[in-house]
Amino acid sequence: MSRVVVCTWGTSGGAEELLTLARGVAAGLEATLGWVVLGPAPHDVTAIASRQDVPVVDHIEHEKLQSFGGDVAVAALADYVRQHDFRVLLVPQTFDARLLAPRLAARIDAGVVMNGLGVVVEGGALAVTASAYGGDTRVVYTLAGEGRFVIGVATSALAAEPAPNPATAVTRHCAVDLAAVEERVQVVTRSEQTGPRIEEADVLVAGGRGLGEKANYRLVEELAEALGGMAAASRPIVDEGWAEPARQVGLTGKITRPTLYIAAGISGASQHMVGCAAAKTLVAINRDPEAAIFRYARYGIVGDCLEILPALTRAVKG
Amino acid sequence: MSLRIVVCAKEVLDPDAVNNYALEGRLVIGDDGKSLTQSSIPRLMNAYDEQAIEAALRVREAGVPCTIAVVSVGEGQDILKHAASLGIDEPVAIHADAASLDHHGVARLLAAFVRSRGGADLVLCGRQASDDDQGVVPALVAEHLGLPVVTIARSVDVTAAGDGFAVRVVRVTPDGDETVAVPAPVVVTISNELGQARYPTMAGRMAARKKKVAVVTPAELGVAPEALRPRITLAKQFVPTVKGACEMIGGGADEAAAALLARLRAENVLR
Ligand SMILES: Cc1cc2nc3c(=O)[nH]c(=O)nc-3n(C[C@H](O)[C@H](O)[C@H](O)COP(=O)(O)OP(=O)(O)OC[C@H]3O[C@@H](n4cnc5c(N)ncnc54)[C@H](O)[C@@H]3O)c2cc1C
Repeated sequence: MSRVVVCTWGTSGGAEELLTLARGVAAGLEATLGWVVLGPAPHDVTAIASRQDVPVVDHIEHEKLQSFGGDVAVAALADYVRQHDFRVLLVPQTFDARLLAPRLAARIDAGVVMNGLGVVVEGGALAVTASAYGGDTRVVYTLAGEGRFVIGVATSALAAEPAPNPATAVTRHCAVDLAAVEERVQVVTRSEQTGPRIEEADVLVAGGRGLGEKANYRLVEELAEALGGMAAASRPIVDEGWAEPARQVGLTGKITRPTLYIAAGISGASQHMVGCAAAKTLVAINRDPEAAIFRYARYGIVGDCLEILPALTRAVKG
Repeated sequence: MSLRIVVCAKEVLDPDAVNNYALEGRLVIGDDGKSLTQSSIPRLMNAYDEQAIEAALRVREAGVPCTIAVVSVGEGQDILKHAASLGIDEPVAIHADAASLDHHGVARLLAAFVRSRGGADLVLCGRQASDDDQGVVPALVAEHLGLPVVTIARSVDVTAAGDGFAVRVVRVTPDGDETVAVPAPVVVTISNELGQARYPTMAGRMAARKKKVAVVTPAELGVAPEALRPRITLAKQFVPTVKGACEMIGGGADEAAAALLARLRAENVLR
């Protein structure tokens, strides 16, 4: 019987959502559902697998996988696939997965699709819905033939649902041969970002070009601070140096999913919205009542963000 | 000894024009149900690929003797003319119907091109194409060539090392910048953090007029038609609808601020 397998490493973020999606794909292909964890397994793997009706979790262990780079990861997965084949491998689309998924696909001669938002089986064939043009459009790809496919899925818009019949998951330890593998790319200076990240923030206040000038970014930071949240930014103002790159939200920045996202002086281009559309409540402040951002917003204030941001800060401080 | 650079470039629809249509709610999908057909949307070189050319030119300007070839799959002669006007040495078109290929086919052709020249020391690509955003071709090319790949570069520095070259790349990661070192040959993908790509000079434009775009066929590269049969095909494209349930809050700044906070607190978004 063929297998639909979710592959994760590091934390289990997004795994449960992806397993829920994979369960549907497995049912459509009459395949079994699997989960393979590369390197140290997070503590909640067995609980999640049981909830999602994954009978067996494959755990690839090797001393070289304690902390690893792309060469080791690709070699480990390729060796695993030689032992335990699959039809579809789904990976949560993290920064590292964007590189790992196509490399693995080429190594094992699988087809690869990234930016997946949904995967369905129609008449026995796989169809992947993905975003394109930075979110301006959606595309549907048909995956032809009986071969393997590796699919990167953006998990931030997926929901996890427990399986109707939970399993009691067991772990299968899978040995891989990495004797001949050394990382070809050597890290000279590693970036260790300390402190909180906007990806994990519960409240974000984001500023855009509508702030007018660098000094006004302070208004964004002040409201963020008053709300106990973090300041974020659109790409143009990061390019201008008004805000740090780590603050950039969007296609080429961070994908965030806060409870509250306040966008001030941001027009609402798709490339920005992909990074904040998963926010539970989005508030837009824009001078232009026709701005696209209002289409995404739950609440909108039409006006000058240079007046409204400080007014909000005052109101929050009471 | 000179550094052999190959830059891979793709022709795309101008993402800013697509964006403007989308923002105005006027983006239209053609009768085939999958193409953007508005003829007013210009075709141009993927901006990240332009920055990959810029990265190559900066390596040359840093004093490393280079040959720079720019290769594109398809008919995109205009983007290759543009590349030529920037001062690269060799514009090359791989003659194939790009629309009928998937990324695997494109990567096979690009890898075969590099192999046909006896290899390259540095293969530079944009981090992704701004049309489909897939970003898989560089990694596929690297695997086909058995080369390491470094993604999302802000800068690329090359120095001579023994008989070869050493490459140092500053990568933009979610945690900030990371510096990596790798011996050539290597595939590197370039991100917008590299900075503005240059514009062609008048002299460059003149020189480009005389430069001929070399054309090679898949057969000449030893790639059989079966190897190009797509596994992944575009079935459909559509413009997503946004729900648009925005409640506008009016009044002066202080009034609006108070009203907004009251609503957010009532809904437990804020405490
Ligand atoms: C391949 C690609 C990748 C991209 N990746 C990203 C990305 O990751 N993140 C990102 O953000 N963008 C990205 N972009 C850019 C994106 O397309 C937009 O250009 C960008 O998001 C616009 O930023 P903005 O909203 O700050 O500026 P603008 O689009 O210039 O909008 C400014 C807004 O402020 C409003 N305004 C002006 N003055 C005031 C005032 N005083 N008070 C209130 N409102 C005011 C205006 O009405 C306008 O709506 C990408 C683009 C491409 C092509």
